[in-house]
Amino acid sequence: MHIAVCLKHVPDPSTVEVDPLTGLLAEDRVLYMLNPADESALELALRLRPANGTVTALSVGPIEADALLREALAAGVERAARVWDAELGPLKPALTSILLAATLRVIGLPDLVLCGGHSADRGSGTVPALLAEQLDWPAVTDVTRFEITEGRALAQRRLARGARAESEVQLPAVLGLDTERIRLRQASLPKLMQAQHAPIPLYSLEALDLSPQDLHFPAMTLHEVMPPRPRARIMFAPDATASAQERVAQILSAGIAGKSGQKVEGGTPEQQADAIIDFLRQHGFLEQRIAS
Amino acid sequence: MVMTTHEEKMRTVRFRVAATPHIVVNSDICRASCSIHACVYVCPANLFVPLDDGGILFNYEQCFECGTCYIACNQEGAIRWSYPDGGYGVTFRES
Amino acid sequence: MSVATASEVFDVIVVGAGPAGSTAALLCARAGLKVLLLERGEYPGAKNVSGAAFYGSAILNELIPNWWEQAPVERYICRRDIAFMSSTTSVALDFHCAAEGYTTPPYNGFIVLRPRFDRWLAAQAEAAGAFLLTSAVVDDVLRENGRVVGVRVRREQGEIRGKVVIACDGVNSFLAKKVGLQREFHAHELSLGVKEVLGLDPAIIEDRFRLSGDEGIAYEYLGAITEDVHGGAFLYTNRDSLSLGVIGQVSSLVERRKRPYELLERFKAHPAVAPLVRGAKLREYSAHLIPESGWTMKPTLYTDGMLVAGDAAGFCLAAGLYLEGMNYAMQSGLAAAETAIDACRRERYSARALSGYRKHLKQRNVSTDFRAYRHAPAFVNSARLQNLYPEVVASGMEQLFRVDGSAKRKILPLARQLMRQYQLKPGELLRDGYQVVRAYLW
Repeated sequence: MHIAVCLKHVPDPSTVEVDPLTGLLAEDRVLYMLNPADESALELALRLRPANGTVTALSVGPIEADALLREALAAGVERAARVWDAELGPLKPALTSILLAATLRVIGLPDLVLCGGHSADRGSGTVPALLAEQLDWPAVTDVTRFEITEGRALAQRRLARGARAESEVQLPAVLGLDTERIRLRQASLPKLMQAQHAPIPLYSLEALDLSPQDLHFPAMTLHEVMPPRPRARIMFAPDATASAQERVAQILSAGIAGKSGQKVEGGTPEQQADAIIDFLRQHGFLEQRIAS
Repeated sequence: MVMTTHEEKMRTVRFRVAATPHIVVNSDICRASCSIHACVYVCPANLFVPLDDGGILFNYEQCFECGTCYIACNQEGAIRWSYPDGGYGVTFRES
Repeated sequence: MSVATASEVFDVIVVGAGPAGSTAALLCARAGLKVLLLERGEYPGAKNVSGAAFYGSAILNELIPNWWEQAPVERYICRRDIAFMSSTTSVALDFHCAAEGYTTPPYNGFIVLRPRFDRWLAAQAEAAGAFLLTSAVVDDVLRENGRVVGVRVRREQGEIRGKVVIACDGVNSFLAKKVGLQREFHAHELSLGVKEVLGLDPAIIEDRFRLSGDEGIAYEYLGAITEDVHGGAFLYTNRDSLSLGVIGQVSSLVERRKRPYELLERFKAHPAVAPLVRGAKLREYSAHLIPESGWTMKPTLYTDGMLVAGDAAGFCLAAGLYLEGMNYAMQSGLAAAETAIDACRRERYSARALSGYRKHLKQRNVSTDFRAYRHAPAFVNSARLQNLYPEVVASGMEQLFRVDGSAKRKILPLARQLMRQYQLKPGELLRDGYQVVRAYLW
């Protein structure tokens, strides 16, 4: 069985600082690392690899991504490939999936693609499904555990509100993993040395036979990134005149009281709208700003 | 800001936490024969917490790997240490 | 960059890619030797902290002409300021030098940031042909018939063979101790430095410290700045940040039950320091041990198949006027490399064959400097110099300059009064005077 693993280099969240004035990332302070979910996927791929199987590590990114492909080679993957082109702008999940699919077609389609379900930076969790779409393969996302038997993958999935589901798909397929953190094995010294200067093949748009039109994916466009600016909210405070016991009870309830509300009745539609806006302002849902 | 709390200082440091601790404190020795608990004061990362029973609670995850605790400890064998696995532990960016 | 595999025998294995290790690897690689440079961090410099004032420009210039043009340096040092502090007062010696070689190449000193500088230096060794391997912790040496024949990296199949091992694994050198070249240190022989890098706009730095262009200043502080802990403090100007820190002798931190980072906060709040750091924002906090006792903690420097250099060998000169480590690390690294090159040429690696290290250390002025200043560290760390004299000087100046309508006193009566006030005995003063002379004059 041939397995491909998609790896992404992401900023270590503990090194990410946003300049409060410009809203920009302090680039010189960022350290990159292998996305933790991808690290788990890589280790699982290595564990899953049968005696005659192979694992290929893929990454879309600039030259810095070679470091994590070397990490993968040192840990024991048979093959690594990086996809990049000076023409490429900022990566979006759709673009990444097109590039990954094209690369897999060029280097040989595997039986199984494992992806970390979410990246630590963007975290949209859409690449596995988009990649499956590009390959016209089945995809299972939010996979917490899985087994492969006789050309089929049986996967357990984590759904919203604690629900679980089981899916069974025919290989080839793409799995988006949402497992617990699994650490990558430690590379042996000979493998680490070997990987240090191993050449990493680079696939450009030309090598993938892609033209600019092929990269077009009718999806959303990113216009601007703004730092989040939390609105001032009215904090819950217990009623100071209440007894200590009542106040403790109020604090423990975190301000949650039973549903209550008031009906806005009578008056013109404008007056009714004003009453609703007043209510929302009072409860901190709208900014306390008076339009001039 | 110029003046910072210890927590604020530690938030500026990057750690890649290894799976196993590289420093092990034998609390039995602390309990039995140490009254000064030097490690509690000297550790620049404030990782040693004295317990009511005279033992020491230690957290290796945010260690600078400086070795001060080992040098300051006057109890033979109470602190055993080595470096964390290659590539793990503290990673200074500017210092 | 050379390609190498774990099964081959290296001529030289250097453990630790700091200033000692990288210069040793660089020189060996240039001599055509097969060199493995091992570093436990994610990248060279990841574990390293110093002030960092680097006074080894001329030394490095021999190896890499005009190195400062390509290396990540912050500012060159054209001013040094040594201040004696009481809790309210500071009396400083301000040294401003525009002489040849200070403000012109090769420059006397630079302020650097170690993770960046060390990474660059290791890359130079790599470019010269050394094989740099990061994320590799060395736990022990390999021995055959009592001789060191390689090292054991903490990984599967981690044994790797080399004809000469140069241990540059820092102040805590596990290797030197494993081989029996170094003993365990005492708490009075080491100091702990805690440091902060504080971001500040370059225009503000130049304005506030009266610097232009790439000029930089190094402040060093003695006295009550560390309260009753034996030590000192420093503040250096980087390009767009300040490096500042407090250094405290480990034994005295223990005795006084002082937390080092609290001393650091009080240092920043001192009336003489607060205006210098105003408005700066913390970028990184760090800590490291310093082998301050110099010559007295010097290990045996070589054995069959192995040499020790840099902090691992205690080559750090902390003698009040001088606070130098990186330059001696490089000088000893070069001396070790020269010894290893000789050994490989003659194909003899016994302790006797490596004993030329002593000669090379002398030629590079390492052992001579440390011998000359062997009495200084103990004197600098003495209680009287640490706590008493800075207080006396500061208080004396305070009284000398105070104008409050009472009669002015001349210096001699004032000195008498200070001696009474601080219970200074002429005999002790004489003895300390002799200590100064012995430590610094001849």
